Amino acid sequence: MFRRALIAGLVLAFPLPAQAQPPATPLNTVTPASSQGAREVLTRVRPAVVQIKSFFGANTAQASHGTGFAVKEGGVFITNYHVVAERVQHPGKYRLEYCTADGQTGPLSVLAVDVRHDLALVRAAGYEPPPLELQPSSTVKGDRAYSVGFPLDVGLTITEGISNGKVEDSFEPRIHYSGAINAGMSGGPGLDAAGEVIGVNVSGYRFEQLVSFLVPVAHVRALRDRSISPLSDLELKREAAAQMLAHSTDLLGALNGAMKTQAVAGYILPDKIAPFINCNASGNAETDDPVQMVQVRCEAKAGLYIQQGLYSGDLKYAHYVLTTDRLDALRFTNRLSGLTQATGRYGTLRHVGPYACQDHIVGLKGFDASLLVCARRYRRFERLYDFTVRVNSLNSPKQGYASHLDIYGVEFEPGMKFIRRYVEAMEWRG
Amino acid sequence: MSAERVIVEGLDGNGRVEWRQRVELNAGRAFTIGRSLEADVTLDDPHAAALHASVEVADDGRLFATDLGSLNGLVVGGKPWRNAQSLELPDSTLQVGRTRLRVRTAHERLDPERPYAMPTSPLERRPAWIAGIAALATAAQVVYACWLGAPRDLAISIVTSMSLAAAVAAGWVAIWGLLSRVMQGRWSWLRHFGIFLGVSAVFVAVNGLADLAGFLFAVPPSSGRYTWIGAVALASMLFLHLRHASNLQASRAALIACTIPLLLAGAAHWIEERSRTRDVNYIGARMRIYPPALMLRAPNTLEDFFNRAPDLREFADKRLAEAVANEPGTDAEE
Repeated sequence: MFRRALIAGLVLAFPLPAQAQPPATPLNTVTPASSQGAREVLTRVRPAVVQIKSFFGANTAQASHGTGFAVKEGGVFITNYHVVAERVQHPGKYRLEYCTADGQTGPLSVLAVDVRHDLALVRAAGYEPPPLELQPSSTVKGDRAYSVGFPLDVGLTITEGISNGKVEDSFEPRIHYSGAINAGMSGGPGLDAAGEVIGVNVSGYRFEQLVSFLVPVAHVRALRDRSISPLSDLELKREAAAQMLAHSTDLLGALNGAMKTQAVAGYILPDKIAPFINCNASGNAETDDPVQMVQVRCEAKAGLYIQQGLYSGDLKYAHYVLTTDRLDALRFTNRLSGLTQATGRYGTLRHVGPYACQDHIVGLKGFDASLLVCARRYRRFERLYDFTVRVNSLNSPKQGYASHLDIYGVEFEPGMKFIRRYVEAMEWRG
Repeated sequence: MSAERVIVEGLDGNGRVEWRQRVELNAGRAFTIGRSLEADVTLDDPHAAALHASVEVADDGRLFATDLGSLNGLVVGGKPWRNAQSLELPDSTLQVGRTRLRVRTAHERLDPERPYAMPTSPLERRPAWIAGIAALATAAQVVYACWLGAPRDLAISIVTSMSLAAAVAAGWVAIWGLLSRVMQGRWSWLRHFGIFLGVSAVFVAVNGLADLAGFLFAVPPSSGRYTWIGAVALASMLFLHLRHASNLQASRAALIACTIPLLLAGAAHWIEERSRTRDVNYIGARMRIYPPALMLRAPNTLEDFFNRAPDLREFADKRLAEAVANEPGTDAEE
């Protein structure tokens, strides 16, 4: 699931240029009529917004593009980390350029990254517009808001919507913006009616209607105010790796509380084990199938986009609980067998190694189960591993379950510790 | 004393006798061949003359052919002859028109009688029984597999699977039947049918038993199991087919039957292993589950399982190292 959200993120946000203009004159006490307001906001922010283009090698055709906006004197801009991710991870193969709304172009260098909040601080050589004002406090649900960027490479664009405040129960903080954010607007500013920055365009759902997200401005401020000493390419990569590690540590740390469980067909199974985990359960109320199945699917949606095809620091799990009153034990267990197989879900040898597995019958609370734990190590982020876990009950000829747990990009020991807690929480109460 | 007689045989392209005729020699110890009723041996061959040739039997049993003025002449010793006169037939055969003939005389040396052993192989003695039993076993397996899947409509599932199995069997048996017909002059349908279905049924049964044993003793299936059991099944099948479709000696048939599956299985195994070192999403097949009451082995404790975590980590690190060793270059940047 985290993959879907992140892919959507990439599609959503990419940048565009701006032109040097006098600083924005803030503070309208009355919200203007929408079209007039958008025009005014765009006029104010236009000079401070640039398109950021990424190029592979010496190609003059871009590999990808996003948006950035000035946050500090001296040509310092903010954009999304995912806009510059390939440059950070493969500095020898990618280069960055900015392009203002008036067509001025020049090289761009990366100063600092905040992978956890999908932000990057960049410097544009030869272009130093006045920075945009950052709003001091968080927005209120229902405020008018705007998003500016370069969607689909069609030029500087402003969209109008409503800020719905901070997303509840999100692992990383996000502002819910009910307005359009399309591919190419990533890294552009989310603005209030006065033209002050409330967040950074980051992602949205491609197939939903106007459900988009901004990174709250507090993280922009934190990154902007960090002391900037130029980092080498290697140091930047190490910083990104350290942030990934911190993210995964925090993720598993946040799951350290009591393992919340629920009972399904006599089995006690892990439920919504943290506030930021979303769970859905479904079943078929009217079925002619001799086996009834209840599915419970949970996911954290906490994953970080690291580079193309690589995500880390996420987790999801699902339980498939089967019961039958018509099938004999042989046919029922055969049906259960179909749910026990395991395979990885994504990735290539560029980023991760092959799985190593341990598969045994173990005694759990009140029942026996077959337990498979597989781990694969990250290739360049050596302390990180992916885990794939399967637990299948082996105790009843009429009831059974298969539980699938997948963890991405966490350290080995904490990962195994969580898996153990997850398995230990399971129980048979008949 | 009755007149001396010879036997004239008509041969097919493979040298097998298609027809046989007893002929009495005339006063000159000869007989004639042609399309006409006047000839002693009348051929139904448009390329033969009315009276095409005569064959004379010498006192010592040697045969001499004379062309009686035909258009197409004779073929003797593999060569065409025009207007041949008293041409000796070195191997007692000649070709008239498109008909190959062999002449057998009383002077012919006969090999001693060969001992005859009744066939002991059940496939030769009772091919119908074997084929019937194999067909029943296969049908039972198909029905069981369909039943096990608990489909909404069992009858449709069975008929579909049976049709598929029958089509595969028919195709395979047709190939071997044809080979038998060419090599031995008989189709041997039942034998090939019995071989294919019998070996297939044993293969399925062995795999099923291996799955069951894996569950009873809690052993996950090994990665190459299907490949190697399949190779043994294919080798057995090829050996039996070859023995019953050709005149190959047992040792040669065994050599062919083992070499082909060995090469196929070896290649499949190599490709599988090789691609597995690169496939970061591959996780092997897991134990098939049977009713829990059948399980014989006591479970491990969770403590034991997680005490082995360092081994798992070491294994994962090793797998990455092996994969990287096979694919250098990506890490060069750092």
